[in-house]
Amino acid sequence: MVVRPLLARLAKKAPVPVFLIAGIGGDEIADRLRLDERLQVMDSPRPAMVLMIVGRLTSGLNGAALQVHDQMAEPRAVVRWSPSRLDASAAIFPHLVAAEAAAALGRAAVAARDDLLAGRLPSSPPLLPDVDPNPWRGVGPWGQGGAGMTGGVPYGRPLPERAKDRDGLQLDQLLVRVGPFMPALPEGLTLEVKLQGDVIQDVVVGENPFLEEAGSESRQEVSPALVAPADLAPFLAALRVPVAIAELELVRVRHHLRWLGHTLRIHGLTALGRRVLALSARVHLGGAGARGALATADVAELRRSLERNFTLAWVTRGIGRLSADQLAALDGGPVARAAGVERDERLADPAYLALGFEPVTRTRGDALARWRLRLHEAERSLRLAEIAGDGMTTVTGAVEGPTGPLGRGLAPSSRLLPLLPDLLTGLDWGDAVSTLLSLDLDLREAALTTPGSGAVPAWAW
Amino acid sequence: MVAEALSTAGLAIAVVAVLLGGTYIAAVLDVVFTRLTMRIAVRPLAAAALPLRRAAQLALQRRTLTERPDAGTWALAPAVLGALAAVSLAVVPLTGTVIAVKADTGIVVFAAAMALVVVAVYLQGWSPNSPLSLVAAYRFVAEGLSYEIPFAVVLIGTALPARSLALVPIVTSQEHLWNVVRQPLGLPIYLVTVLALGFWGPLSLPEGQDVAGGTSVELSGVPRLLWRVAQLNVLVAVSAMGAAVFLGGWLGPWLPGGVWMALKTLFLLALLVASRQYFARVRTESFVVVAWTILTPLALVDVFMAGIQAMVAAR
Repeated sequence: MVVRPLLARLAKKAPVPVFLIAGIGGDEIADRLRLDERLQVMDSPRPAMVLMIVGRLTSGLNGAALQVHDQMAEPRAVVRWSPSRLDASAAIFPHLVAAEAAAALGRAAVAARDDLLAGRLPSSPPLLPDVDPNPWRGVGPWGQGGAGMTGGVPYGRPLPERAKDRDGLQLDQLLVRVGPFMPALPEGLTLEVKLQGDVIQDVVVGENPFLEEAGSESRQEVSPALVAPADLAPFLAALRVPVAIAELELVRVRHHLRWLGHTLRIHGLTALGRRVLALSARVHLGGAGARGALATADVAELRRSLERNFTLAWVTRGIGRLSADQLAALDGGPVARAAGVERDERLADPAYLALGFEPVTRTRGDALARWRLRLHEAERSLRLAEIAGDGMTTVTGAVEGPTGPLGRGLAPSSRLLPLLPDLLTGLDWGDAVSTLLSLDLDLREAALTTPGSGAVPAWAW
Repeated sequence: MVAEALSTAGLAIAVVAVLLGGTYIAAVLDVVFTRLTMRIAVRPLAAAALPLRRAAQLALQRRTLTERPDAGTWALAPAVLGALAAVSLAVVPLTGTVIAVKADTGIVVFAAAMALVVVAVYLQGWSPNSPLSLVAAYRFVAEGLSYEIPFAVVLIGTALPARSLALVPIVTSQEHLWNVVRQPLGLPIYLVTVLALGFWGPLSLPEGQDVAGGTSVELSGVPRLLWRVAQLNVLVAVSAMGAAVFLGGWLGPWLPGGVWMALKTLFLLALLVASRQYFARVRTESFVVVAWTILTPLALVDVFMAGIQAMVAAR
């Protein structure tokens, strides 16, 4: 009895373990929260005390958010901020704490944790029924003694199938569903994988949960810029009207650094990843030369130090290799340029050519080439922003976004998603994650265009 | 009789104190290195308090239960890991006279205990009945033999100049020249293999972010705290052993032997803890290939060189 208040007092200044879910309009804020020293963003919901939902969730994601909530240990709380009044998560989480503004999210999470520990806030109760997904049909505690040699079908789930592995041995296959909120995967991506040990034998990519939002009837009330990731907004504008080159290039730098920060974290370089994320927050869209703004020298120093890191090169060399032929249909973008496809929409804009723009390319086409290319591109874009002054783009209709060309049919992520099953099958799980990271997939971006139709919804571009 | 019992109790307390003290220091060092890497100011008092604050927070959190876990083995896993670290440290001489278990085969006891770490990690991964945790456990088993062989071989190398498997003679055999100098391959190979053993930093394969924390993905509350403590216990034990067999243990001028031993242990502990700031987590397959094609042959070269040196010295 004496110990508990003492522990609660001691715990008060510890960073709050949170599990972060970024919905539509929440990706940029989520990155800001990752830099908040009062919070510790966890890889698993189990040890998290506060579930932070930032942005609008679609109905498909709401169900998964409920599962994440129930997986968290008690005491637990939910803190939410959404830019949209249409958000259904307010209804499905009856006990959530709604932050009044995105900037107040960190403070709200700390307050929720303190109230939980002090007993002022009751722990959020389970929201899903605590029943077995299927009736227990085996006999005995482990299903032994039922029908068949291994005791029937526990919980209606089939026992592992057996299949030959890559060495010809008959081994069990484990069917695992991961996503949509696994921190190592792009937000919203679900994969159904058949694993033998940690080798992927088969993979099925789940439906894009953001498509439902983009195609919903309420889209008139939700602007396309809100569905799209934050970094895409100025590029979507540049499809219609001339936009300042400096702004586009600075957003590209910010995008690449945010991607790199996230990638480094998943590769185990957590602190370095946070440093890179902090660098991305120093990109001042008002101008490259502003006080405290990120300078080319900062990115150059980062590039040199990462290129010297032999383990980072070692873990990405030869991983997720795609040839120029496989990427020809991509029309450009960092993934294609890393395989030697020298296509970039900026080459078609005289304003860029006047600044001496030349695209960065690599030839290996693997994860190593992709991160090195993005880092090089970030450095070059920052230099472009510095010399561009007030220069505006002169071509509309198609623009080179941070992940590839926009306005030419499918969004870059929509073109990459169909490559995944072939690309991931046969890889170790770790290599599959490295591959997915290197492709810089964004399902919100993919939701801007409907795969299969090849058509670009007029409301999106 | 009573004096002997008291002395045994005192030694047991010393082992636990070194293990827990070392674990706390490792946790503080991790905070400091993390902040330095992030290029944010290190406030000494806050850094010293942070591990305790985090521990308190975990102590107040309830543990989670998964669907049909093997609750017994799940609870046992951190206990097994912590006990293995304690057994390993018990055979390490903290000074010339303070050694909890004076075993004639101290180095074999140490290697045997550390070989069982794979069992504790597998139990942790398998027990919660969770796919990511199980996949992570598979990984650790897959790399098990690859690091254990070079680990054991370089340890044997340190026993050759002493012509003994007991730790005190191994330390005293370094009176004129430490093993880190006469067996230059030994310590680097040892440090790589103990990173795998302690599943830390570049070799935290069963606890990677790509498997959302892997063997600890389902852990919260006190079990998570115990698992983290047990993991750092292993790093402390292997650092102390590294200091004894490669850096001359308690030997050194001016300062008392215990202080030298503490400084050398801290030096190795700091190297191990800091490794996660610079090195990315390596791929399982790449590590296994390197372990078999580079580390094991180099470890054999190390032990042959040590044998030849010992033979020449004996003549």
